Amino acid sequence: MSLARGAFIQLQVVHALVLRETRTRFGEHQLGYLWAVLEPLMWVGTFWGLYEVTDHPVPHGMDTLAFLATGVLTYELFAKNVSRISEAINGNKPLLFYPQVQPIDLVWARAALETATLTAVFVIVMGAGAFFRAQMPRVNDVLVVMAGLLMAALLGTSLGLLLCMLGTLSNLVERLRGPLMRPLFWISGLFFTVDAVPAGAQRALLLNPVLHAVELVREGWFSSYESPGASVPYVLYFTLALLTAGLLLERLVRRKIELS
Amino acid sequence: MIQLDHVYKTYGTIAGPNVVLNDVCVAFPDRESIGILGRNGAGKSTLLRIISGVEKPDSGRVSLTSRVSWPLGFAGGFSVSLSGEENCRFVARIYGESVDRVVASARDFAELGDYFYMPVRTYSSGMRARLAFGLSMAVDFDVYLVDEVTAVGDKQFQEKCRRAFAARQERSSVIIVSHSLSVIRSYCRRCAVLSHGGLRIFDSVKEASRAYDAGAAA
Repeated sequence: MSLARGAFIQLQVVHALVLRETRTRFGEHQLGYLWAVLEPLMWVGTFWGLYEVTDHPVPHGMDTLAFLATGVLTYELFAKNVSRISEAINGNKPLLFYPQVQPIDLVWARAALETATLTAVFVIVMGAGAFFRAQMPRVNDVLVVMAGLLMAALLGTSLGLLLCMLGTLSNLVERLRGPLMRPLFWISGLFFTVDAVPAGAQRALLLNPVLHAVELVREGWFSSYESPGASVPYVLYFTLALLTAGLLLERLVRRKIELS
Repeated sequence: MIQLDHVYKTYGTIAGPNVVLNDVCVAFPDRESIGILGRNGAGKSTLLRIISGVEKPDSGRVSLTSRVSWPLGFAGGFSVSLSGEENCRFVARIYGESVDRVVASARDFAELGDYFYMPVRTYSSGMRARLAFGLSMAVDFDVYLVDEVTAVGDKQFQEKCRRAFAARQERSSVIIVSHSLSVIRSYCRRCAVLSHGGLRIFDSVKEASRAYDAGAAA
């Protein structure tokens, strides 16, 4: 089989998987796929409400909605990719019964769907916010925003892939994922900007690549903000390391994945 | 044409390695249906999975020049939370077939009525087999790999499957695994016996069954 033919079949399979995933994402719930959009909207809405009610200060006089949405949605783009992809194989074992469906296709399909969904939510929230709220700033540098979102998505996909493959070796991985991911929610800059913490703490916090992605999106959106350490190459190196490990592991375990 | 060259497959068990296929070299010519006999655990289902490509051999080569189905067995491959129709749409897409045509054709063949639009979870095992069969008939394969599935449906449905295969004998064949000689005889003229890791093809079902009974096929 030629490479082009193989690539065509793989695209065909991933396309079918994505369409299928929109039906199974929330089981037989009535609203179905709409939940994938509503859920992050509710996250942003909840924090926005809390900030407004408590009159919580926002760094650099940023608009509250814009500040929270850039943080929460960028983080969600990363985290949803991780959580959905790490369960891609376990949740779809019957599909491996078809010869052309390979385990890695299940990973790519979920990555494509989660990334597209959360990017759409980001555009909806920021677009609607800017349209209805005069005080909300328009995007300053759209390329930097896109770079930040892309980094969050790639990082989430790579980590999800690695966890997914490790998960085929031991179900301990799935048990530990939740508790290990939880701290990231608090240290990834959803509720602070990195220039507000002392220099020593900055260096430690900036070891976390998710924080870089969030900072990039904020820097791109607000003309008033310049991040003291956000770096695209740093996230890229991190992503490449995870991706390499994940793909190598995939080659090792692909024959061992049992059909159920 | 389906060709297996020096195919080995071993499963690790607590009691040590279990060699299921030991240097299997065999060619299945086009348009010739073949039955496969073998005791429980002899590796018949493994052989079908390896031919289909779902499972890879430990070593050796499988070359296919014909379009081979997925192994049709006890409803493996369906997502139980999706309806029969949704499962058909998915399969049509991964085989690059027209979705509407496959869905209509599978629906008519499976005769599930309204159940076709309900989650597969609510199906009985016979209904799942009907769906699997109807769906596989809707996609045009050169070779159908059948794993005991005909034993599941009722008499009428079994008869329907046989007629459907007879109607397409010109272009399609089956490789069928079964314990029932009468089932094999109704589909195939030739028959193979799988035992002790070796596969041997006989020119008639009679010879195969004699060898199988004698347990001397290896």
